[in-house]
Amino acid sequence: MLPLPRFEYSAPNDVRDASRFLAEPGSQLIAGGTDLLVSMKQRLFEPRHLVSIRRLGLRGVTVQGGVVRIGAATTLAQVATNLTVREQFPALSDACLTVATPTIQSMATLGGNLMLDTRCLYYNQPAGWRASLGYCLKREGTVCHVAPKGRGCYATQSADTVPALWLYGAEVEFQSTRGVVLRKVSDMYRDDGMAWHGVGRDEVLVAVRLPLAEARVGHRKLRTRQAIDYAQVLVAVRAPVADGPWAAVISAVASSPLFVEAEDPTALAEAAFRASQPLSTHLPAATWRKRMVRVEVARAAAALGDGR
Amino acid sequence: MSEFESPAPELGPGRAPDGPAGDEVIVNIDVNGERVRRLCSASRTLLDFLREDLRLTGSKHGCDVGDCGACTVLVDGVPRLSCITLAVEVEGAVRTIEGCGPAEAPIIAAFDTHVASQCGYCTPGIILCLSHLYTETPCPDDTAIRRALGSNICRCTGYTKILAAARQVAAANGATHTDEPE
Amino acid sequence: MSDPAERPSWAVYPTHSGEPAEGGVLGRSERKVDGLSRITGAAQFTDDLVLPRMVHGKFVRSTLPHAWIVSIDMSAAMALPGVVGVAIGPELPKRYGVIPVAQDETAMAIGKVRYIGEPIACIAAVDEETAHRAARLVRVEYEPLTPIFTIEDALDPSKPHIHEASRKPSNILRRVFQEYGDVQKGFAEADLVVEDTYEYPGSTHVPLEAHVALACPEGHGKLVLWSSTQNPHYVHRDVAHVLGMREQDIRLIKPTVGAGYGGKCDPFCTDIVAAHLARKLGRPVKIALEREEVFYTHRGRHPARMWLKMGFKKDGSITAVDFKAWAEGGAYASYGVVTSYYLGVFMPLPYTLENYRFESHRLYTNKPPCGPKRGHGAIQPRLALEMHVDRAALALGLDPAAMRTANCIEPDTETCNGLKVTSVGMKECIAAVVEASGYAAKRGKLGPGKGIGLAASAYMCGALHPVYQNELSQSSVQLKVDRSGEVTLFSGTADCGQGSIHMLAALCAERLGIEPDDVRVIEGDTSLTPVDLGSYSSRVTFMAGNACVAAADKVRDKIARAAAVKLGVEVGALVFRGRQVYVDAAPERALTFVDAVWLAEEMFGPIGEVGGYKPHKIGSRFRRQSVGPSPAYSFTAQVAEVGVDVETGVVTIEKIWVAHDCGRAINRRVVEGQIEGCVYMGVGEALYEEQRYRGGLMAVPSLLEYKVPTVHETPEICTFIVETHDPNGPFGAKEAGEGPQLSTVPAIANALHDATGLWFTKPPFTPDVVLAALTTARRRAGSA
Repeated sequence: MLPLPRFEYSAPNDVRDASRFLAEPGSQLIAGGTDLLVSMKQRLFEPRHLVSIRRLGLRGVTVQGGVVRIGAATTLAQVATNLTVREQFPALSDACLTVATPTIQSMATLGGNLMLDTRCLYYNQPAGWRASLGYCLKREGTVCHVAPKGRGCYATQSADTVPALWLYGAEVEFQSTRGVVLRKVSDMYRDDGMAWHGVGRDEVLVAVRLPLAEARVGHRKLRTRQAIDYAQVLVAVRAPVADGPWAAVISAVASSPLFVEAEDPTALAEAAFRASQPLSTHLPAATWRKRMVRVEVARAAAALGDGR
Repeated sequence: MSEFESPAPELGPGRAPDGPAGDEVIVNIDVNGERVRRLCSASRTLLDFLREDLRLTGSKHGCDVGDCGACTVLVDGVPRLSCITLAVEVEGAVRTIEGCGPAEAPIIAAFDTHVASQCGYCTPGIILCLSHLYTETPCPDDTAIRRALGSNICRCTGYTKILAAARQVAAANGATHTDEPE
Repeated sequence: MSDPAERPSWAVYPTHSGEPAEGGVLGRSERKVDGLSRITGAAQFTDDLVLPRMVHGKFVRSTLPHAWIVSIDMSAAMALPGVVGVAIGPELPKRYGVIPVAQDETAMAIGKVRYIGEPIACIAAVDEETAHRAARLVRVEYEPLTPIFTIEDALDPSKPHIHEASRKPSNILRRVFQEYGDVQKGFAEADLVVEDTYEYPGSTHVPLEAHVALACPEGHGKLVLWSSTQNPHYVHRDVAHVLGMREQDIRLIKPTVGAGYGGKCDPFCTDIVAAHLARKLGRPVKIALEREEVFYTHRGRHPARMWLKMGFKKDGSITAVDFKAWAEGGAYASYGVVTSYYLGVFMPLPYTLENYRFESHRLYTNKPPCGPKRGHGAIQPRLALEMHVDRAALALGLDPAAMRTANCIEPDTETCNGLKVTSVGMKECIAAVVEASGYAAKRGKLGPGKGIGLAASAYMCGALHPVYQNELSQSSVQLKVDRSGEVTLFSGTADCGQGSIHMLAALCAERLGIEPDDVRVIEGDTSLTPVDLGSYSSRVTFMAGNACVAAADKVRDKIARAAAVKLGVEVGALVFRGRQVYVDAAPERALTFVDAVWLAEEMFGPIGEVGGYKPHKIGSRFRRQSVGPSPAYSFTAQVAEVGVDVETGVVTIEKIWVAHDCGRAINRRVVEGQIEGCVYMGVGEALYEEQRYRGGLMAVPSLLEYKVPTVHETPEICTFIVETHDPNGPFGAKEAGEGPQLSTVPAIANALHDATGLWFTKPPFTPDVVLAALTTARRRAGSA
């Protein structure tokens, strides 16, 4: 048995209380826990105080004024099967259904997915393993095992829902004792494996807002197995809106998602290929993952038809 | 919404109501139709709560990090990985393999008939996952069956006999359910 | 789609001697007697057991691959509240190991560590969390040594010895060289010579239940040890040996085991240290490994580099085989001596071969020890041999299926290396899968990116010679008949899910004309059950089955003699069937089984019998051939149909047809399950699984990164049981638990060639590797 480290626990009724708890160093929010508790068992996080979102009532999907609002604690299974989501944002529904396994989809939350820690073959490992290799830059160490001569940490952004949410123009609602802040998904992530987001530690992700629009988005996830696995390459492609360009978001190849645009699907796939510089953060060869970016973008675009 | 929605965590001994509930908590949940109340560490997983505190050992430690499904239990009928669920976080009625009843009887019988269980270590988790599947979709097609089984690793059977058992249950449900599932 | 269980046998008893299934149990397709207890979670695995005052042990493991241990500082760990005791390697200095000539292992490292993950110390605490926390507080100071990670380094005499006491010139555990016939002459006569190298990856078992041991001290210096083991007998022996105890003072109990596939064949640190700490602390100690630790404990498939040269005549017959293999075995011997033989000895099966030579090396490296995994040692060379056969067939313009069939050995032959083969269903297996798959019509015609491939194989049914020299029974079974008609069967076997409990119940029921559910099987308890050597080398059905039939025959004889008197007929006129004993010619003259048991007890006193089995002496031409000979051999053929995505390199297996000659099928559904499990594990090794290392660090010690196939990656498997009647097997039965895995990977590799025109000689065939090969080939074709 792999035990959890010990911690104190609270489940406040109010977002402001949660925010107040989270402002204290050593506090950590827990939503579905499907990634956090694994990381805690691996001693990647040893929070002194876990603050649960479960009594904050952040569940459900509502539509108001041309915006679909999904509560952060809504499970991925609930998001995927919600009729509005399935009709208006099918790529988000598809993305939710590719996360890990169906059982995890019924536990993990949309908010948790957006805040999924960046991942690396040398980071997401048990404590003893990391001690044997020598701790890495992202946790306890001084060297990045992926790029020992590099400039930082290259752990990859791997949240399955992010590329689709980005292209649907989603915004994320954060609440703290200081009020509510809206961030575009497209502005949320930074290309730094360690400081991969700019969200304050006392901010609670409470909802995701999606504008009702006619965007047609396709989602693809490349992985070894059709269950359990995280993405090796993650893409979402948006067909042109009016006379606009084709657009793609590529993830799991860098610490933040990459956005590219082009006039046609072929150029889009080529642009995505050029923009992607995957490193050996995953098992398959990085050169292969780079080639797969082109293939996956082309296939996602092809599935959307000519886009007009 | 069930009656168990969002219970407030009971405070551990000597804890102030406005601070953290403490590293010891009282878990007060319904397991297999019985109300249980135990003081335990906040870091107690549901799996250890079931196995150690309640001696319900049908749910298994497989990988302990949510990859294999051997620890699967139902909470309000929905599968959960009890190895990465905090006991204190459980909202709803827990059902383990020990609490299986008429809903699971046909699945268990089909697994027995088809010898869909070899070593049996993964089987309780699979039975519970399938129980959820048939509740949602009484006559699932092959795609739905495979999708559900994607949550559980079986290392013995090559899934062939598990699929055969699952199809048999689906077919039997088809004979009794005239309503086509959506 | 039809249920394979409902299909008739491809070939029912093609060489069957006609012995009737008197009891009506044999050959049914039915549930297992122990099925429901496992399905409903009622079965008790070792980790499910809890004892009063029990504490938990947690290992401190090496973080370096090769180093002297300078010091171990446990003061911080011992100061932690809840820690009740510790143990370190020097407390258990005796070396052990299943193979007597290669006992090089201690329960925990003494003075030196030889792989990352090797246990150094063990902390016992009141709960697992405390033990885990305490283990992380232990500080070990090392003096690093040059590690050995590759075959080249292991063969290099200038490199340091991993086992410093070794007198070998380099890090070689065992070199085996054998030659039969005249290999040189064979190659001289060949019309075609095919030569290439292959690399087979290391892989590991991944039983879902980790290794667990629970030890409880009894009064008078005795001990009970519960262990999740495949081999209770060897654990019993080695724990007693290391602890310096008398074997009779240890009761070893094997609870329900959550699979092994070879991964629970060794006595492990869990067993020995739990027993040691229980005695030291005077209270029960449980040690349950974490999943990560199971990967370090390993004993999985040896990575092997192989060189194979084969000579063929124009008609496809094989004139000579020359084979070399280097198996990288990790830091300790485990079963590695056996591996070094198994790499070579099965190559003369199933094709006629007169001139054969092999040389194998089993090497030490600073990695977790390799050992027996399903198809032990025979899996790796089978890939080379079966790909060579296809290459020759293509070069000679022959149909690979016809070529294989034409070269099959016949029943009752002896191979060039002295393997005495009795029943052979090889041709029937090939015919079954070739016809069912449409192999002939599909081969070369499925279009770009699609292919079909065939492979055949043979495997053993238990080792003729026991691991340690003795003339005793290799399996023994005791039967006790209750007045209720219940028969209790005591056996030292270890069902790990493969169905051996049902096998024993079914054979006993068949002999006595009762139902398997009337037989209660008590197994794997050294104080209750007579010795069985264990669940390895596919020996249990053949050997324990024979012992069971021998015991049941004695019971039947007593009951028959009593019943014959009552019914006024000769013993030979009686039939045991349907819980009755009746006169064959006049079924209405019948006794219930229970009444017959009462009569027998009146006549003979309480009814209890024992039966044993040891293989009869097979006079081999080669005395030195002590590892490899088996009392019988099983045969398998399979066809794989694959698709290759030429843009991504992703290989998809569309379907696998497999036919296996298991001798006589005892419970068809259980046999099918074993075959399907083998194919599944072969699919994993072909496409997904590899025990990868970064230096000496096992790179992927989790179910997230070590890619066992899920239901989505597992192809449809179409299973045929080919039944032969082996003259020495129980009711003609042989094995089904390992043999079918041998031909899965080569069938897939041959299908990949059909799909791409390329020979992939290094599994797993992952997309990056496949796409790189396709790209290189396209470039070559473009520039040509």
